[in-house]
Amino acid sequence: MGRKPRPPIEREGNGYRFNLDREERALVHRLMTEMRALLQEPDADSGDGQVTDNRLKRIFPTAYHQAGDQELDQEYQRLMREEILASRLLGLDAVDEFMNAASGDRANATEAQMMAFLQALNGVRLVLGTMLDVDEQHDVGDVPDDHPNAGEYNLYDFLSWLLDWSVRAVQG
Amino acid sequence: MSIAPTPTVVDRPDQDESVAPDIPWIVLVWNDPINLMSYVTFVFQKLFGYSIEKATELMLDVHEKGRAVVANGTREKAELDVFRLHEHGLWATMQRDDA
Repeated sequence: MGRKPRPPIEREGNGYRFNLDREERALVHRLMTEMRALLQEPDADSGDGQVTDNRLKRIFPTAYHQAGDQELDQEYQRLMREEILASRLLGLDAVDEFMNAASGDRANATEAQMMAFLQALNGVRLVLGTMLDVDEQHDVGDVPDDHPNAGEYNLYDFLSWLLDWSVRAVQG
Repeated sequence: MSIAPTPTVVDRPDQDESVAPDIPWIVLVWNDPINLMSYVTFVFQKLFGYSIEKATELMLDVHEKGRAVVANGTREKAELDVFRLHEHGLWATMQRDDA
C-alpha cells in the first residue's frame, strides 16, 4: 500500500477531502462497521462496571484509579458507560454519512464528520492495538512477513499512518 | 515505557486563575503504547484549548514521565474532563489533589 503523491486527507474549503482509493476507503469503512458491531454486542456492557470483553478495555477505561475510589468508579461506569457508547455510535453514524456519499477515489467530510472520523479511527486502533498487545517497541514495518499476525500489524500500521495524516489535516 | 501506569514526578499545568487554590481533584492522562503522540496533542488542544506548545509539552510529559496532570477542579468538572478524554480514547483517570 504505497503512499500517494497527495496526502490521504487534506483540507479543502470548509471541509476535508479524502484521497483514498475505493479499496482503502472500503477497508476503513468495513473496520468501522465491525467496530459498531463489537460495541453493540451484549457483552460490551455487563452493567457491573467491569469490561467483560478484553478488546474493549481501552474503550471503557477506569476513571477512578485509586484503591479507595472503587465505588466512585462503579458509579462512573454505571452512569457514563452508556454515554460513551452513544457517543461512539453517533460518531460512527457521522462517518457512515460521508463514506456512503463518496464516489470514485474521493470522499468529502465536513468539520464535524472529520472530528467523528478521528475519534472513530482512533477507536479502531485502540481495539486492534489491544488485541495485538502492541507495546512501545513496536515500529512501523518491523513485523516480518511470516509473522502469524503480519496482516493485522500491517493493518494497524496503515491505520496509524492514516490517523497521523488526519491529525495533520485538522491542525494544518 | 510499559503499559501499566507507573508513579513519577508530575508537572502540573498552569492553573486557571479563576479556580480556587484548594482544588480537590486532578485529571491525569497516562502513557500508553497505542495512542499516537500527534493525536494526544490534538486532543489536548481540542478539549482544553491549549496552545500547540502547551499541548505538546503535556503530551511529552505523558510520553516521557508516564503521566501528566492535564486539568483540575471540582469532582464534577474532573469527571466531565475524564469522560471527554475517554470519548477520545485517551487513558485518563482522576484523583484527589492531596499532594
